[in-house]
Amino acid sequence: MSETVVHFLKNSVSRYPCSEAVIYNDQRVSYLQLWNMICSVADYLHTKGLERGDRVGLLVENSPEYIAAYYGVLAAGGVAVGLNTSAKAADLTNWLRHCGARYLFSSLKHPELDDIAKTCSDDMSIVGIGEPGKQAVSAFDLWHEILNNKATEPRLAEITDVVMPAAIIYTSGTTGSPKGVTLSHSNLASNTQSIIEYLGLTHKDSIVSVLPFYYSFGNSIMHTHLAVGGKLVLESNFMYPHKTLEKMVDEKVTGFSGVPSTYALLLGRTKLKEYDFSKLRYMAQAGGAMPPASIKRFLEEVPEVDFYVMYGQTEGTARLSYLPPEKLINKIGSIGKAIPGVTLEIRDENDKLCRPGVTGEICAKGDSVMIGYWNAPDATGKVIKDGWLRTGDLAHYDEDGYLYIDGRDSDMIKTGAHRISPKEIEEVIARLVEVEEVAVVGVPDELLGQVIKATIVPTIEGALEKKSVQAHCRKNLAIYKVPKIIEFTNDLPRTASGKVKRFLLQDNN
Amino acid sequence: MSVEEKVRGYILDNFLFTDDQSELSSEDSFMEKGIIDSSGILEVIFFLGEEFKVQVEDDEMVPENLDSVNNLVAFVEKKTK
Repeated sequence: MSETVVHFLKNSVSRYPCSEAVIYNDQRVSYLQLWNMICSVADYLHTKGLERGDRVGLLVENSPEYIAAYYGVLAAGGVAVGLNTSAKAADLTNWLRHCGARYLFSSLKHPELDDIAKTCSDDMSIVGIGEPGKQAVSAFDLWHEILNNKATEPRLAEITDVVMPAAIIYTSGTTGSPKGVTLSHSNLASNTQSIIEYLGLTHKDSIVSVLPFYYSFGNSIMHTHLAVGGKLVLESNFMYPHKTLEKMVDEKVTGFSGVPSTYALLLGRTKLKEYDFSKLRYMAQAGGAMPPASIKRFLEEVPEVDFYVMYGQTEGTARLSYLPPEKLINKIGSIGKAIPGVTLEIRDENDKLCRPGVTGEICAKGDSVMIGYWNAPDATGKVIKDGWLRTGDLAHYDEDGYLYIDGRDSDMIKTGAHRISPKEIEEVIARLVEVEEVAVVGVPDELLGQVIKATIVPTIEGALEKKSVQAHCRKNLAIYKVPKIIEFTNDLPRTASGKVKRFLLQDNN
Repeated sequence: MSVEEKVRGYILDNFLFTDDQSELSSEDSFMEKGIIDSSGILEVIFFLGEEFKVQVEDDEMVPENLDSVNNLVAFVEKKTK
């Protein structure tokens, strides 16, 4: 494959220049307008001396600006690093430094921008987007000025080296060893084409996107729709599902994607049957297991819509398997089979292939498997062995070759659309002087899949209150990382070798 | 205690984890300020039921009713009239 997602987008610009590419609040941006923005960004970066492979941070919510900056970075030969906009300055600066970012595109209203600028601006040029807040914007280049400059077309021939890194997605913020999943142009292009193929996406498709582009799921929605000349309707969050459904009807979208909590909210807080979904062709779910009972209920509510169950992980670019809608009833609970271009195997602890019905670890090979974690060969070596990605997810095949997830051989917590390393939260809580030890786990939750629970051994009994721990977390962590449940104990349960028995802490009673 | 005091107290206590009144303005948008996320809004709805016996219908689940202390107070007062 010699083409990149930028080539795919350029193709859409050539074929559908006047079609709407992105809708965001009252902005309706055509493919030609989007391309002009991308050219301006690429031109700016060249003028500022960007060299091939330079990392560029993006601290911008889902918006036409995010898309133009992302593709502009790729078109200029850089590596786009989409940053979690709910993260705090400590994580953000840690990631920017870890990848050695030389440029940052940031929303001027981002509350952490001041702190980032104070610590990183000597090594990094910052472009401010949107209305100036209280920042000293004189230190920044401004987005609207970049767009005003007449730009030349980027030379896409320079980025046909498809194995070169294109994007980094940070999946954990631990101070010692942040994990930046590094994806090549080939990873993005291959995964994009596979998804387009199995969803049957064309320029007639459109989607209301509620998932952040800085996560792999949202990232794949962006690339697939722009590659086919489709339309992205951006919603900044999913707090009011009723509003999102109205937008879907108003914009006559053909698709919708979400994580299990998205669908739990739709089923629990909306009357799906009352909406006119005559234009809606499919809905898709990934990001964790959705209970089969919820899937069945969903099919009863909107029987005319195809429902795709999908599976993947950031290390696999986004998607690794899918279950075709026509198999949904017969194979309910399954995550389907490998997507085109990916091979999946189930292997036991001795690396032997498992037979149908026997649980083992899902291993993936193919164009979608990441290059590795940025600047972390040891961490990469633990998950990629002989070219196979060890996903950490446990599953089995049935006799027909359909995969079923049985659990996860990992401490990672999945809550809503987020994947969180317990270590990040433990590090922050351990900074409190009243804390002797802490262990963080995910406990089952009907809506979010899991919620975060912290079990704390205080230095002196009664020295800490739940609220003060949560306040400390709130100050130092993104809102979704604040533990909902805090328990105090005298000892953490441990194995003979001293390892915390996390499974014993996962009891929510 | 007034409706506003109860609502402010609940938001401060459960989402900002503080008693400091200056941390929250009654006009602050929960969405824009990152005070509450999509699961948090369900907790707020549960609180309205428990504290004020106010049922939030699906079509009432909109920012105009729920996205700030002022909006919540106006909504509760309208529903309990």
